[in-house]
Amino acid sequence: MKNSLRVLRAERGWSQQDLAERLEVSRQSVNAIETGRYDPSLPLAFRIADLFGLTIEAIFTNPAKDTEQ
Amino acid sequence: MPTTPAGRRYLKRFVPTMTAYVAALFVSNRVAAVWQPEGAALIALSFLPALPIIGVIIVIGLYLAEESDEYLRHRIVVSMLVGLGLMLSVTTAWGFLEESGVVPHVPAYFAFILWCAGWGAAQCVLALRERVQGDAA
Repeated sequence: MKNSLRVLRAERGWSQQDLAERLEVSRQSVNAIETGRYDPSLPLAFRIADLFGLTIEAIFTNPAKDTEQ
Repeated sequence: MPTTPAGRRYLKRFVPTMTAYVAALFVSNRVAAVWQPEGAALIALSFLPALPIIGVIIVIGLYLAEESDEYLRHRIVVSMLVGLGLMLSVTTAWGFLEESGVVPHVPAYFAFILWCAGWGAAQCVLALRERVQGDAA
């Protein structure tokens, strides 16, 4: 799933490891989500959204809407 | 195995279980060679090395249940499924070939070894792909 995680992370000057520690997941997890290789579960998506103070939809692109465009 | 708390617990359980396997295998072979037991004693002795292997399977199951990093758990489960597919394919094909007398008989415990080999190979491929894509990203 496309997302703006890399941009949001870069805006805060965080490395993948920094973000991983804040989310209490592995750096591999952050990398896999950023590159769209892995779609996080809803609880993890909420944790990511809460960390950046945004909604899930503001971070992750709805695949259905992405196809329509 | 990942260096997560669950991964470290897995290693702490895996090492003594495999040590127990080596000890059980040694004892089983030695006792069988020296005393040549029969009947129930032979069954118990032959079953002895299987117990720690069943223990290893339980240890693997505990890791999957305890791993809180969902992506790492997902990656390992995918690798395990690759191992399962390899094991089922090879054992099925081997069974038919064996029935025709084309290949020799192989003990059934090789199925677990085959599954582990497939799991390990898939883990390596996924880790390598991750490294390449991670570097490219």
